Amino acid sequence: MKEELTPALEVQSVVKNFRRGRGLKRKITRAVDGATLTLPRGELFGLLGPNGAGKTTLVRCIATLLIPDAGTIKVLGHDAFKDSLYCRQRIGLLTSGERTLYWKLSARDNLNFFAALYGLTGKARDRRIDYLIELLGLKEVERDRLERYSSGMKQKVSLARAILHDPELILLDEPSLGLDPQFARFIRQFIKDELNRKQGKTILLTTHYMDEADELCRRIAFINKGRIVNVKTPEQYKRDIPHTEVLEIRLQGQPDAAPLQALPGVERVASDFKDGVTTLKVVAPRAEAVLSEAIEHLRKGGRILGIDIKQPTLEDVFLYVTGTSLGADTAEHKPVAE
Amino acid sequence: MTNDGTGQSTADPCHSSLPRRLRHYASAVWAENIKEWKLELTYPLDFLRSLIDPVVYLLPYVFYGIALVGGRFSPNLEKLVGTTDIVSFITIGYVFIGFMNMALWAMGFSLRKEQMYGTLEAVFAAPVPRWIFTMGMSMHSILHQFLMILVQLLFILAVFSLKVNPLGLLPALAMIGLMLIALYGIGMIMASTTLLFKQGWLISEALGSLLMVVTPIAYPLAVLPLFMQKVALAVPTTYGILASRHFLMGEQMGFSVLTAFVRVAVLCIVWVVFGLVVFALIDRYTRRSGTLSHY
Repeated sequence: MKEELTPALEVQSVVKNFRRGRGLKRKITRAVDGATLTLPRGELFGLLGPNGAGKTTLVRCIATLLIPDAGTIKVLGHDAFKDSLYCRQRIGLLTSGERTLYWKLSARDNLNFFAALYGLTGKARDRRIDYLIELLGLKEVERDRLERYSSGMKQKVSLARAILHDPELILLDEPSLGLDPQFARFIRQFIKDELNRKQGKTILLTTHYMDEADELCRRIAFINKGRIVNVKTPEQYKRDIPHTEVLEIRLQGQPDAAPLQALPGVERVASDFKDGVTTLKVVAPRAEAVLSEAIEHLRKGGRILGIDIKQPTLEDVFLYVTGTSLGADTAEHKPVAE
Repeated sequence: MTNDGTGQSTADPCHSSLPRRLRHYASAVWAENIKEWKLELTYPLDFLRSLIDPVVYLLPYVFYGIALVGGRFSPNLEKLVGTTDIVSFITIGYVFIGFMNMALWAMGFSLRKEQMYGTLEAVFAAPVPRWIFTMGMSMHSILHQFLMILVQLLFILAVFSLKVNPLGLLPALAMIGLMLIALYGIGMIMASTTLLFKQGWLISEALGSLLMVVTPIAYPLAVLPLFMQKVALAVPTTYGILASRHFLMGEQMGFSVLTAFVRVAVLCIVWVVFGLVVFALIDRYTRRSGTLSHY
């Protein structure tokens, strides 16, 4: 196969288990369960799933930070574990969380250090760092210690670090997590316009923000409980449930939502409890038809705060396909017999 | 190829010639060393303390020795090792505590430190072998150690007029160089065990205490029980101390200079190979278990 035709990333039947505890208390959890993906060069691909779905574990396997228990991963046609140095040179990794840089050092010092790790030295390093500092709007603060930066500014430096060596494949794990809307918008635009459209980079982006995946990605894989459920374009997903509406009911407390699933016409029900308020999402062909019976069931469970009927979003499609809300935490999802 | 936005590019260091790869690794080691200096110097008072502490801790050893012997020069020491000056004897021995600490604590905790900064995964995702990071950290520790020794020696020179043979400096440094390679092997083992055990410092503490007892820092090897002397001969710092005192102040080692160099060379091979194997096994284990970023 010619090099240009080789996919940027091929993930084949990857399984990753984690073992915790010892002896009789030992528990094995399957974090990634047979994941298979192929990313052609130049694609901006989304991995969408709730917290604990296995997104970060899969990204760490691709970045050679974890060794899968089964399956193969190829980066630009090279096996990620047999040829790990080659693959690491071609992967740019942005992990979630702020503490991936040295806070006591400046942006330039951080980038100088990581440049050396990626084999960039001398004038080539200086030119590249100057270029990225300018591109990401860090010129004014490049000599300040990172501890004085806001979260958004730190994320810009992390992004600069991830693309410092001009990698072919960029892995972005929750790149806008915890950022204020202004920085989140900047990061999203930078990913789409600069990295993907202008520079033609292949990008694997994990997120549990439906809007982010919908806005940025050409194709999206739904991942839930370690399994990749579907891979489609956002439009295809939305077409999958064309004659469906979403009845959204917000209540105080935690009512039992199970009886709603048995109502005629109801296809899916998801419940998300946060700050004393439960948000129930009932997927049905005609939301109005199930409204009165749903209210009847829920009235005893707690005070109803609001009711809304919506057209399905990508988030609702995720719920429809997986039965899990994107806001849910599904960590520790799948115990495996040893 | 790397695009800097100006249309110019640099070649990819991976899958390139061996000299180019070695240059890449050398620059990574140097960058790690520079980064550690910059981080250390963000706390200038702490840095100053690290230079003064070894002098302060040395003095009780020196005064204790003088009090026991009843003066600076000891006929009994001369009977045991062929030299009388207890101050020079203790000072030269004492500087090696710093080298032991370098292997057990500074190098041993290098990866742990990265875990605590939160940067371990970011550096491990880079295209260089992972032992490069412990090597960079050991380079910083060695340079730091030499700076501390310089301060100690200047102080002892000024206060006690240290009596050493300047011609012995080069062969002593050659022996110290070999000893440092062997200590790098021990440091690799410590670095990897701190990734494996959350309380890895317990192992450093235990091994440090053992080495303090068997290494002839403030007393000659001959005063140790026979089994301890045998243990001491497997420790690289023993040869560093004995040979340094031999070259600088004429201490009798109990074996020839050639024997000392051969034994240290063997210890280098044993400890470095053992260190690399343990490091590779634990690195693989942490990537299988997913505990790399835990601390």
